Amino acid sequence: MTELITNSSPMQLGSLKTQRIMLLVIAALLPGISVASWFFGWGFLINVLLAAIFAIGLEAFALGIQKKPIKAGLSDNSALVTALLFGISIPPGSSWWLVFLGIAFAILIAKHAYGGLGQNPFNPAMSGYLFLLISFPLDMTSWQIPVNYPDATPLGWEGLQQSLLVVFPFLFSSTESMQATVDGMTMATPLIVSKMAGTNAILEAQQAGLNIFARTAETGWELMNIAYLCGGLALLALGIISWHIPVSIILTLAIVSGLFYSPHSSAVYGTPYLHLFGSATMVGAFFIATDPVSAATTNKSKILYGIIIGLGIYAVRVWGSYLDSIAIAVLFGNFCAPLLDHYCRPRIYGHPKQGLVSWLLGNRS
Amino acid sequence: MLPLINQPFTQLVIASIVAIICLKFICSIYIFLTAQKAQQKSLIDRINACLPQTQCGQCGYEGCRPYARAIADGDAINKCPPGGNETIISLAHLTNEALTKLNPAHGAIAPFKVAVIREEECIGCTKCIVACPVDAIIGGPKLMHTIIEAECTGCDLCVEPCPVDCIEMIEAGTESVKWVLPSQVGRFSRLLEAPQ
Amino acid sequence: MSSEAVARIARLKLRPHRIFGGIKPRAYKSSSLRSRILPCPIPDQLILSLRQHQGEAASPVVKVGDMVLKFQLLAEAENDSALNLHAPTSGKITAIAPHAIPGQSGQPELCVFLETDKQDAEIELTALPDYRAMSHLELLDLISQAGICGLGGAGFPSGLKLGDGIEKEIGLLIINAAECEPYITADEALLREFAEEVVSGAEILQKISLAPQCVIAIEKDKQDAIAALKPALRNSSIKLIALSAKYPTGGEKQIIQGVTGLEVPTGGLPQDIGVLVHNAGTAFAVHKAIIFGEPCVSRITTLTGAPLQTPKNFEALIGTPASYLLKICGLDKKQLTGAIVGGSIMGVELKNFDSPLLKTSNCIIAKSAKEFPQQAKEQACIRCGYCANVCPAQLLPQQLYAYSRSNDRLKLQDYGLADCIECGACAYVCPSNIPLVQYYRASKQEIKESMLRERQSEYWQSRFQTHQYRLKKNQEDKLSKRKKKKSAAGTKTENTFSREKARAEIAAAVERVKARKKKLIASTKLDK
Repeated sequence: MTELITNSSPMQLGSLKTQRIMLLVIAALLPGISVASWFFGWGFLINVLLAAIFAIGLEAFALGIQKKPIKAGLSDNSALVTALLFGISIPPGSSWWLVFLGIAFAILIAKHAYGGLGQNPFNPAMSGYLFLLISFPLDMTSWQIPVNYPDATPLGWEGLQQSLLVVFPFLFSSTESMQATVDGMTMATPLIVSKMAGTNAILEAQQAGLNIFARTAETGWELMNIAYLCGGLALLALGIISWHIPVSIILTLAIVSGLFYSPHSSAVYGTPYLHLFGSATMVGAFFIATDPVSAATTNKSKILYGIIIGLGIYAVRVWGSYLDSIAIAVLFGNFCAPLLDHYCRPRIYGHPKQGLVSWLLGNRS
Repeated sequence: MLPLINQPFTQLVIASIVAIICLKFICSIYIFLTAQKAQQKSLIDRINACLPQTQCGQCGYEGCRPYARAIADGDAINKCPPGGNETIISLAHLTNEALTKLNPAHGAIAPFKVAVIREEECIGCTKCIVACPVDAIIGGPKLMHTIIEAECTGCDLCVEPCPVDCIEMIEAGTESVKWVLPSQVGRFSRLLEAPQ
Repeated sequence: MSSEAVARIARLKLRPHRIFGGIKPRAYKSSSLRSRILPCPIPDQLILSLRQHQGEAASPVVKVGDMVLKFQLLAEAENDSALNLHAPTSGKITAIAPHAIPGQSGQPELCVFLETDKQDAEIELTALPDYRAMSHLELLDLISQAGICGLGGAGFPSGLKLGDGIEKEIGLLIINAAECEPYITADEALLREFAEEVVSGAEILQKISLAPQCVIAIEKDKQDAIAALKPALRNSSIKLIALSAKYPTGGEKQIIQGVTGLEVPTGGLPQDIGVLVHNAGTAFAVHKAIIFGEPCVSRITTLTGAPLQTPKNFEALIGTPASYLLKICGLDKKQLTGAIVGGSIMGVELKNFDSPLLKTSNCIIAKSAKEFPQQAKEQACIRCGYCANVCPAQLLPQQLYAYSRSNDRLKLQDYGLADCIECGACAYVCPSNIPLVQYYRASKQEIKESMLRERQSEYWQSRFQTHQYRLKKNQEDKLSKRKKKKSAAGTKTENTFSREKARAEIAAAVERVKARKKKLIASTKLDK
């Protein structure tokens, strides 16, 4: 006689569930989002909200046509995290259709076409971002921020009006005024300055450094990175993410940029400080690269994964033709993750220690 | 001053790391290729490995290997009741044929049983000994026979020839507890129902 | 080889080492530690399973209707993996019938039903206060007779373990008092009140196993027990090692790693590296068995959980029904949603409340809906890797889960499923409520069965081939014989029948038979 057993120990379970993990990640993103909104204005906030709304709608749609339970699927909050990461990566004040296309690619193709939560080999938010970057390069590199205009406060009424104007152009009839405003608002990120400007400008910028007291776009980047760093450290302290990926990305980036940088040469490499705080490095290292589904999973492979992403970020920034490179580097890391996981398994309890020779020959027993 | 990257020591370190990684990959590829070679077996052998080896002949062939040969020549894969669904799934994988339900003409799926001789009734006719495909029955003419339980494949072939019907099939002792893979409940029926 | 292991252990510095992985669940221990260990009143009926642990069942030596006295042998172990069973109190055997016992399957086992007479009349015992004069093998025999098994939960017969240890040479004996699972406080309460007795039991175990060193390993946070142990250990060579408190420090492999830093090789036993682990409760039982001659008829069991008004540790008789124990702890039936035997992580759901206490039942938890909410539905694995961080065997549970789902046996073996100790730390931390342990248990069983099947089918195949070879050879022999006969008939020479020749042949045959008989007799004698 055979008895079937369908409930197994453990009887007591921990309290940290997927839903809560995602909520905590969102909470940790909030300081960064608020700082970014303070500097980049309503356009940033509108993008994030728009992305969230689209993501929830599309997630429900995707679950619905697959006949999966919609409420349970939405309750894990993973679509919201994807939307937030996507929303903060695209240039503030992007048009609504740009946001929609990116989110649709992220949720429908990068996530649900591969089988939904837990099955996607590539980071959905970054896939959506890269899809836009390749398809609409011009829209994705113009940062439409009213900050550098002395008259317009970014979070003021005028800023809101302008932001709504660029995001929802169909709401306004007069196209000429819109053109003018948008043109005036475009600005360059510190990375663009470093990459595109002449040698003199670079040297000048490096000597001046970033000044966190002035409310300018450069300062915005700097403070935003610090805010994301704080959020990331909070996640580390709570044990939501492990230190391996962010630390190895940041260290790799710092070391590589330190290796290539020489203070008085005119080569366009940028200081380590610029690479860490003048770009999207912190949000990439703590929030994007650590997306558990598509990242490497063992501790050793996480470190290698971080190194690959760090090198990728630097290589694309310095030698590539794209401006910022978190998305490309993270997707490249996703490509490598299964292989890294395969080769970097921890030694199981009671199994012999592996020396270099047996590692090279690949025999594990 | 040179950037750090252009200094000889840094370059030496980088070069050695790259060399070790390359070596690892070359070794892995070599091992992968040699391992592939060792695994190559004839198709009949691989099909035969999927069959339960009860040698019962319910498929209409004399034993498992002849049936394996027939499958390799294109016979249907659903003729083996003792192997059950598992055999059909693995055969379908191997031969790239569509999954089909067991052909009821050859029997039904039943739990594993072994034959037992009621020894007091045995008249020692040796007919069952001749029928047994794996020589699991011992005994001599006009002497009592018995079945070695550990050797019996449960093929059922000895039941028919017995003139006094003293052989019966009993369920073999299996483990009393069976763990269920939460995702595996009803897997085969799902596979069959799925549009092909 | 094993003396090498002993030498290696002698060289080691015994101190707290790091244990892989582990979790820190909420302990829920304080409520049952509030009171002292109380002797449990004798219930009207005891139900004594003939199988008290995971091993063979013992065979009864009493009949229905027999009057038995306390400590009298009820069932005898017929082989090494079975355990002797003794009467926990005096009374009458009313039945020997199947009854539900706590366990994974909840299947009924053959039990001896003992109607107690509350007299508690004992048979005479032979106490051995000066056991030191005896040889270690005599003591080992006494332990085996007393029916002691590992009282920590796994229930491996102690005599068998000790015997195996003596054979392989032991360098270190570890008394496991870590008790890392939530809710269970039996060992902690025991050490708090009977530290001297446990130390005495440990000394006896050390003498039997001939181990040059002995260590009591306990978790750091059990301050009361440590305080009680320190004076008890003053005149002893036994050392106390306080390990950091996490689950599963008390696992056999883990506590060895925690004390010595060594790892039990995969597929091996602690004895292979010269270490023997016994539970503190076992040491107490050994002390009673040797010093007072008492066989194992009772154990210390924790009764706890929110529905109980007075959670406590009982020294309860083996065979006491769980429902009786719960009742005398003031069970609030309204809150009760079920019960667990064992800790809240490794424990087993109690399916029948009349199930009796076994020698291995260290804890009974009354479940409430608040402490044990209904298990939520399984969600998708997000590969967070929390499970890999807490796995004490350094496995990759999320990979094992994926391969278990896809039924990939080779990969499961490659990723070390066999090294999984089923501690459940992975399922505890899983944010997606995946019953990982269940997956592993099902896959382990599946692999075991399929390996058995494969071996069997290979064997059958070879049998079939020899069978066919034999048939073919028979036929060939027949053919060739017939040919010979034909050719013999064709030539027909002076090969005619002669009486002389026949007689000689018969005599030779008789001679041969006689010789063979003699040989046979000689060989059977030799056998005897």
